[in-house]
Amino acid sequence: MNKIMYLEFERCIGCRSCQAACRECGGHDAKERNYVEYVDFFESRQTYPMLCMQCKDPACARVCPANAIQITEDGVVLSAMEEKCIGCRNCTFGCPFGIPKFDFEENKMYKCDMCYDRTQHDIAPMCASVCPSDAIRFIDFDEMQALRRRRTQMNLIEGKKPTEQDKWQYVPEFFGVYSD
Amino acid sequence: MTQFLAKEGVKNLHREGEKLITTHCCYCGMQCGMHIRLNEKTGKVVGVEPRYDWPVTLGKMCPKGVTAYQTVDHEERITTPLIKKNGQFVKASWDEALDLIEKNFKELQSKHGKDALSVYGGVSMTNEKCYLVGKYARVGLGTRFVDYNGRFCMSSAAGGFMKTLGTDRGSTLPWTELEHTDCFFISGWNAAECLPTSIQWLWKARDKGAKMIVADPRETQIARLADVHLDLKSGTDSALANGMLHIIIRDGYVDEEYVNERCNNYDELKELVKTFTPEYTSQLTGVSVEKIEKAATIYGKSPRSVVMFCRGIEQQRKGVDNVCTYTSMALLRGQIGKFASGVSTVTGQGNGQGGREHGQKADALPGYRKIADPEHVKYVAGVWGIQPEEMPKAGVSAFEMFDEIQNGNIRAMHVMCSNPAVSAPNTEYVWDSFRKLDFMVVSDFFMSETAEFADVILPATTWAEDEGTTTNLEGRVIRIRKVKDPIGESKTDWEIMKAIAERMGKGSFFPYENVPQIWEEFRLASKGGKADYYGITYDRIDKEDGVFWPCPSEDHPGTPTMFKEKFDTPNGKANLATVAWQEPAEVPSANYPHTLTTGRVVFHYLSGTQTRRVKFLMEQCPLPYAELHPELASQYNLVNGDKIKLTTPRSSMVLDVRLTKAIRNDHVFVPYHWGKELSVNQLTNPALDPTSRMPEIKVCAVKIEKA
Ligand code: SF4
Ligand code: SF4
Ligand code: SF4
Repeated sequence: MNKIMYLEFERCIGCRSCQAACRECGGHDAKERNYVEYVDFFESRQTYPMLCMQCKDPACARVCPANAIQITEDGVVLSAMEEKCIGCRNCTFGCPFGIPKFDFEENKMYKCDMCYDRTQHDIAPMCASVCPSDAIRFIDFDEMQALRRRRTQMNLIEGKKPTEQDKWQYVPEFFGVYSD
Repeated sequence: MTQFLAKEGVKNLHREGEKLITTHCCYCGMQCGMHIRLNEKTGKVVGVEPRYDWPVTLGKMCPKGVTAYQTVDHEERITTPLIKKNGQFVKASWDEALDLIEKNFKELQSKHGKDALSVYGGVSMTNEKCYLVGKYARVGLGTRFVDYNGRFCMSSAAGGFMKTLGTDRGSTLPWTELEHTDCFFISGWNAAECLPTSIQWLWKARDKGAKMIVADPRETQIARLADVHLDLKSGTDSALANGMLHIIIRDGYVDEEYVNERCNNYDELKELVKTFTPEYTSQLTGVSVEKIEKAATIYGKSPRSVVMFCRGIEQQRKGVDNVCTYTSMALLRGQIGKFASGVSTVTGQGNGQGGREHGQKADALPGYRKIADPEHVKYVAGVWGIQPEEMPKAGVSAFEMFDEIQNGNIRAMHVMCSNPAVSAPNTEYVWDSFRKLDFMVVSDFFMSETAEFADVILPATTWAEDEGTTTNLEGRVIRIRKVKDPIGESKTDWEIMKAIAERMGKGSFFPYENVPQIWEEFRLASKGGKADYYGITYDRIDKEDGVFWPCPSEDHPGTPTMFKEKFDTPNGKANLATVAWQEPAEVPSANYPHTLTTGRVVFHYLSGTQTRRVKFLMEQCPLPYAELHPELASQYNLVNGDKIKLTTPRSSMVLDVRLTKAIRNDHVFVPYHWGKELSVNQLTNPALDPTSRMPEIKVCAVKIEKA
C-alpha cells in the first residue's frame, strides 16, 4: 500500500455517507464498521468520523486469546477470522478508540479492515472515496505533507477556523507578517 | 449503450462476474457520477462503485447516492398495473388498465370538454421524458392543464433569472470553477445536507482562503464555519439583500463600469435601497448591524465572488423578488459572465434544470418557448406535426390545478414522477382535491401517498431501467444509462405516455421505438429557443464529460459560462431589481407567536417515497421532529424528547422535540419528507408568489403547545 488514510475531523458535515459506503465493502455483510458522532448537538452541528487507526501494535489483536485478529503485511488490522473468533469481546474493550463492534447474532466481532479488498490495490476505501467533504481521504504521503504545511500556513494568514478569521487576533505584537 | 466508461488510468474495484455501468445518481441536482454494479448471472443490481473520474463530483456521494441502487430491485416495487375496486387495489393487465383509462378519459372529455383532463409532471426524470410530458398533455390528451412539481422547486429561481438576466440557467458558471473564487455569499441553502457533494468545492476554495458568508435562520454546518453567519428571520431575504446593496453602494464597492455598460435601472435601485440602512435592515431581518456591515464589507472587497441561493429564499411568496435582489448583488459587483464568479441557484431535483425548460410548465413550450408567443407556438407545432391553432392555451400552475379541481373544471388527473400529497403545502386541501376527482391515474414505482388516491396505478420504472439525459445544476447535459431491463411488467414513463396517447387516437404523434428517437425530436424542438440543445449528441456528452447548453450546433462548444458579452434581455442589459419591502404572508401574532420553517435532512429526498424505503436511511432518520432553541423550549417547559403540538391556521400536528442552540430562538424547524399525519405540509402556507406561483412553504406563523 502506497497511500495514507488522512482524517480532518472538522471538515465533517455529518452526512454519514462514510457509514452507508462502509456497508458496501466486499465481505462487510451490510454492516458498517465506522462511527460518526455529534460533538454536542445542543451546542452545534459539528460531527466527526471515527474509524480504525490500524494501530502499529494493536491492542485488539494483543488481547485476543484466540489469535483471531490478523495483521496483513502492510499493517492492516483485519476483522477476526470467523473460524477462530470465540466471541469473548476482549477486543471491543481493549481498543482505545472503541472500534471493534460485536455481532451478537453471529457471535463474532467485526471491525474496519480499511477495505482491504480495495486498498491492497491502492484503490481508496469506500468511506474515503465517497466522503463529500474530504474529511476522510486516501492520498499520497507527499500530498499529506503538503496539506499539513498548508494548514499551518493558512492558520498564520487567515486565523483559525471557526472564528471570524481576523488574522491580527492571532499574531502577537512582537511578530510582523507581510500581507496586503 | 451500457459500456463501462472509467477513463484510462482510473482504478476501480471491478469484481469478477460483475458489470459496472456508468451513470449518475437519481436524486438531486448534483447528479453525482457513479457506476452501478450489476451481477451478470442474476441480472440484479448489487451495489455501487465510485466514479472517480466524473469532474463535478470526483467519486463522492452522499448516503442517498450510495444507497440509491437499493430502490431498483426493491421488494416494494409496483410491478403490475393496479386498479382500485371497492377501495382496494387489485392487480390488472396493461390492457385492462388502459381500457379503463381510455373509457374514462374519453367520457370525461366528451361530457366536460378537452380540458377536463390534466397532467401533473415532475422533474426527477430525464429530459426526454420531461419533454414528452408537455407534448403528451397538449397533443396526446389535448388539454391545456399541464404543470409540474418544479413549482415547489425551481420556479422562483426561473422567474427571477428570466427577469434580471433574460435566461434561466441555474448557474452562470461551471461549478468546477468554484474553488477559484474569493467569496461565497450563500443564502437559504443547507449545502451540507441538501447537496452534500457540493461541499468539496466550498471547502477547496476555503482551503485557499476564500471567505464564506451564510444567511440562514439555522446554524447549519456551513453557517457554523462561515466567516459571517447572518442569522436572519425566515422570509426577510429581500430586506437583507437590499441592505447589502445599500452598503455596497455606500462604500463604493460597485463596479461602475460594468453596471453602466451592462445593467438597467441602476438609478432606480440606488434610490430604492437608500432607506435600507444597516439599522433598518437589522430591524427587519433580526441580524445585528455589525454582522450586516461585516458581511457587506467582505463581499464588497472580494475580487471574485459567487452568490448562491436555494429553496430557502425561493419558497416564499416573494421568491422571485428575493432571487432578483440577490442576483443584483452579483451584478453591482460586476461578477456575472466572468471566471470563478457569478450567481447560482442550487437545483434540487435531479433534472430540475432540464425538466423546467421544455414545456412541462403550464405556459411554456420546449426550449424555454412561450405559449403566449404565436411564433413559438408555430415552431413547436411544426415539430409536433399539428396546426398552431390546435395548440392548447396556457394552463395554470401546479397548486392552482387543485383549485380547478375544487371548481369542477378539472375532472381527471394523471400524476407522473411526483408526490404532491406530501410535497404541496396545505396538504389537507390537496387530499380533498384528489378525492373530488372523477378519475385519477398515477404512474409510480412505489406506492406513494399520492398513488393511494388513484383509481389506476401504472407501474413505472426507476432511473436505472431506462436511458436518457439529464441537465445537472450547472446546466451541463449528461447521460443516464440503462442498467437493466424493467422489472415485472413495469414500463418507462415514455412508453406509458405513448400507450395512452395511442388509446386517445394520437398514436401517430408518438411513434417512438426507443429513447434516442425522442432525443432527436427533442433536440429539434429546442432548436432556436433560449435553452438550445440542438448541438448536443449522446456521443459528445460521453466524449466531453457533458455539454453545457445553449449549444445551437454540433460544432458549437457549449456554454459553460453564461452572459460573457451580453444578457438575454431585449436590450442585452441585465435588469437590476427594485424591490420594496414586503412582509411574509403570515407573521407571528398573539395566537401564533412563532415562526415555522421547513426543510430537508441529508438522509431523505423530497417527499421520501424512495428514501423512506431504504434501510440505512430510515435507520438514521425514521421520523420528522421539531428542532428548537432551548430558550424557546424553556418557555413551554419542554425538554429533549418531549412531544410538542404545532398549530397553524391550517392544521396541527404532534412531533418529538430536538433541542439545539444552532437555530434562532424564535423559529421552529421541521423536515418535510413524510406523508399523512407526519407531513409538515399540513401546516404550511400556500400563499403564492405572483410571478412564479411558488407557495410560501418556508415561512408561516405557528403556535406551540406541550403535547
Ligand atoms: S462521509 Fe465524511 S462528512 Fe460525511 S459523516 Fe462521514 S466523515 Fe463526515
Ligand atoms: S476503511 Fe473501509 S472498512 Fe474501514 S471504515 Fe472505511 S469503509 Fe469501513
Ligand atoms: S443525492 Fe445528490 S449529492 Fe447525494 S449522491 Fe445523489 S446526486 Fe450526489
